[in-house]
Amino acid sequence: MQALEPGIVFWILAVVILVSGFLVVTLRNMFHCALCLILCLFAVAGIYVLLEAEFLAAAQVLIYVGAVAILIVFTVMLTSDLASESLIQHNENGTIAFVVCALFAIGVPYLIKNTGVWMPAKGELISDNVGSIGKYLMTDFMLPFELVSVLLLAALIGAIVLARKERS
Amino acid sequence: MAELRTEEFLVNMGPHHPSTHGVCRLILTMDGEKVVAIEPVIGYLHRAIEKICENRTYPQCTPLMDRFEYVTAMATEHVYALAVEKLAGLEVPERAEYLRVIMVELNRIASHLIFWGVTAMDVGAYTPFLYGLREREDIMDLFEITCGQRLTYNYIRIGGVSKDIPPEFVPKCREFVKMMWSKFSDYEGLLNGNPIFLGRMKDIGVLTPEAAIAYGASGPVLRASGVKYDVRRNDPYSVYDKFDFEIPTQPNGDCYDRFIQRLDEMKESLKIIEQALDNLPEGDIKCKVKPKLKPPEGEVYSRIESARGEMGVYIRSDGTTKPMRVKLRGSSYNHLMLVPEISTDVLIADVVAIFATLDIIMPEVDR
Amino acid sequence: MISPVFAVGELDGLFRWLNELLVSIGLPQPWQDVIMYAALSATVFGLLALIALFLVWWERKIAAHIQQRFGPMRVGWHGWYQTVMDALKLLQKEDIRVATRDKVVFFWAPVICFVAAFSAYVCMPFGRGLIVADLNIGILYIMAVTTFTVISLLMAGWGSNNKYALLGGMRSAAQVISYEVPMVVSLLAVILYVGSLSMVDIVESQSGWFNWFIFRVPFGPIAFVTYTVAAIAEANRTPFDIPEAEQELVAGYNVEYSGMKFAMFFLAEFINMFTVSAIAATVFLGGWNGPWLPSWVWFMGKTLSMVFLLMLVRWTYPRLRVDQLMEFAWKFLVPVTFANLILAGILKYLGYWE
Repeated sequence: MQALEPGIVFWILAVVILVSGFLVVTLRNMFHCALCLILCLFAVAGIYVLLEAEFLAAAQVLIYVGAVAILIVFTVMLTSDLASESLIQHNENGTIAFVVCALFAIGVPYLIKNTGVWMPAKGELISDNVGSIGKYLMTDFMLPFELVSVLLLAALIGAIVLARKERS
Repeated sequence: MAELRTEEFLVNMGPHHPSTHGVCRLILTMDGEKVVAIEPVIGYLHRAIEKICENRTYPQCTPLMDRFEYVTAMATEHVYALAVEKLAGLEVPERAEYLRVIMVELNRIASHLIFWGVTAMDVGAYTPFLYGLREREDIMDLFEITCGQRLTYNYIRIGGVSKDIPPEFVPKCREFVKMMWSKFSDYEGLLNGNPIFLGRMKDIGVLTPEAAIAYGASGPVLRASGVKYDVRRNDPYSVYDKFDFEIPTQPNGDCYDRFIQRLDEMKESLKIIEQALDNLPEGDIKCKVKPKLKPPEGEVYSRIESARGEMGVYIRSDGTTKPMRVKLRGSSYNHLMLVPEISTDVLIADVVAIFATLDIIMPEVDR
Repeated sequence: MISPVFAVGELDGLFRWLNELLVSIGLPQPWQDVIMYAALSATVFGLLALIALFLVWWERKIAAHIQQRFGPMRVGWHGWYQTVMDALKLLQKEDIRVATRDKVVFFWAPVICFVAAFSAYVCMPFGRGLIVADLNIGILYIMAVTTFTVISLLMAGWGSNNKYALLGGMRSAAQVISYEVPMVVSLLAVILYVGSLSMVDIVESQSGWFNWFIFRVPFGPIAFVTYTVAAIAEANRTPFDIPEAEQELVAGYNVEYSGMKFAMFFLAEFINMFTVSAIAATVFLGGWNGPWLPSWVWFMGKTLSMVFLLMLVRWTYPRLRVDQLMEFAWKFLVPVTFANLILAGILKYLGYWE
């Protein structure tokens, strides 16, 4: 994409992410919300591409869009009324949620600004980031990687136990 | 722990649907893919055949019988002719009866070939359908050289048959029988042992003998549940008592057994045709029937074994040229009522398989 | 991924000529690139559209000959441009839109399906140097973009506001998620051996006599078989065509679509079939490798042989039921593919087949 100013692409993606993210929590049709979530996740993958983290982008699409979001859509289709039902997305906790979000939105930039000196990464960007991710996962970050796997396995078994009907 | 449940919803399967074999409507209550309840709705193909018969003379009713069950039209003509002959006390020449048997058995094979192909298609295998039609085409050709028609024959008339067979019929028919015997290994090789096919058919829609008898099931459906009952043997009509043939039965009564049952019955039909061709007597093909046939007052019920089961005609005569009341019994009606009975704990794909293996055709249900 | 080379092998001259032309008329650099990308995309798109049309005709002919028929015979020699005429017919047909549809979702579903099917070809090596962009995440990229097909089917199922379509959409989602696992894991066995996700690297590691992965016994053939089975499911074809099971769901997710929208689903289905076959040809059958003939002939020959296999299977077997389909994926294919992956790892460690 050298052809286009990276700035323009970034801004397009940023706008898509923000707008679709906003739509996820405001739209009244659950199915549309889920589709907006997919769009949002896809645009985030676009940001990864801009950062030259292709592996991350592909993994984002494959896992979040390809599996997680589809499961969400699937659940929406199974549970809600089959005719496109509108629902109200806010409840009495809206005010508290807004305050918490506002605090977060102000607090994080504030913290970032006051963290001291930000250093750019040293050295060249690694061109073969797939290979290096693989190497690091198998050497330096072996333990966290395995821990996450065990956590996922536990979640999987938990889900099966919850979903399994009691045998009479 | 609270049970996780999804909402139930209704699906209208039909009246127009690829696998309802005509215009049947099944109201399915679904829980996801699971079918919770089935309600068949009939009447979309009602043509008032029974009522129309009351305004026609006896010979004029024969073409209507073709439309009663058009997949085995020869059988419907046969049962109607038998009923009127019994009512009017007509003696049918033996050659005519032999010709009738040959035609009805050929028609039975044609019907089972359609069943074989359609059932395979309903579980997703397209190709057998065309193989089935290919062999059926030869049967249709035999009918065409005999009576000029390929679907609604109007061949078996009151008192005999309309035309004698042409000289080339017997050799052609023998050729067909020989060819048909050689095809079974193809049929069996294509589907019978296929694991996917077995998975779709075995232990699906099991019909117990008790339920089958209680619902008045007959024909291959009843025999596939292990009940050895065949009108051709239990209440012989025409010249069936002169032939040597088996009544095949199956042990389990599931979809697979009903499927195999028809293949076995085709072989028995071929045996009957072979014997009939060997012993075909010479002579008249029709007894004298007055154009204005006036059977004496009274009532009669005749029944035969059609490709789908027991087919019956009840006629009440008031001594005029027209019947006072005609009632047709088609086995598909009883078999359709079996669909909700045996579809317990099934998925939508199983309903299709069950519907197909019961071999229900809608004109017979709605008349 | 960001800066692909215009490595287009036999077509190189043409594209170089176009580039020189653009330079000579003095376009600024960004616009030159945009036009070059557009030209490249148009080439691939046109090629794939032709392939899709050919595959439709071919499938009809194969089905016909299996069933002792002739198939299309009237339009041209053995009906060779029948599908062109069919496509023209579909273009002119009325676009029937259900009144109770979900307007936005209904409209975008075929578009996404079409785009997802075609975008896989960004890193498909049609021959030596005949590749749009040799991404270093090649095969992962193809897996990622093809998941959008599922979303489009779900959207079509929902947007049609039809229960058959909805069931079809849900079936396809469940099926594709389940079969993606064995499919990716079977490919992983090969990726493990090659040590790269790039399609070009995968092909080049298979050069030489009997070096294709299908010949690398035992893990290669096992991975090939499991991949093929999963790929048939991914392409929604019999015996795994439950999303559009004609006898159960009439036509599944596309039951309410007509005209060109239907044609987009239909062509995308054939493109998907070609995609899974092309991946099989690239990963297991040595891609463009082969003696004497030009590289793209080898690639097309292998891919079309795979397509032929899929068509033979389709016109021979009955369809699985939805629960059997899931059981087969999770209780048989997934364990087998994982065991095969471990086997491949051990063999690689021991230095076999290097």
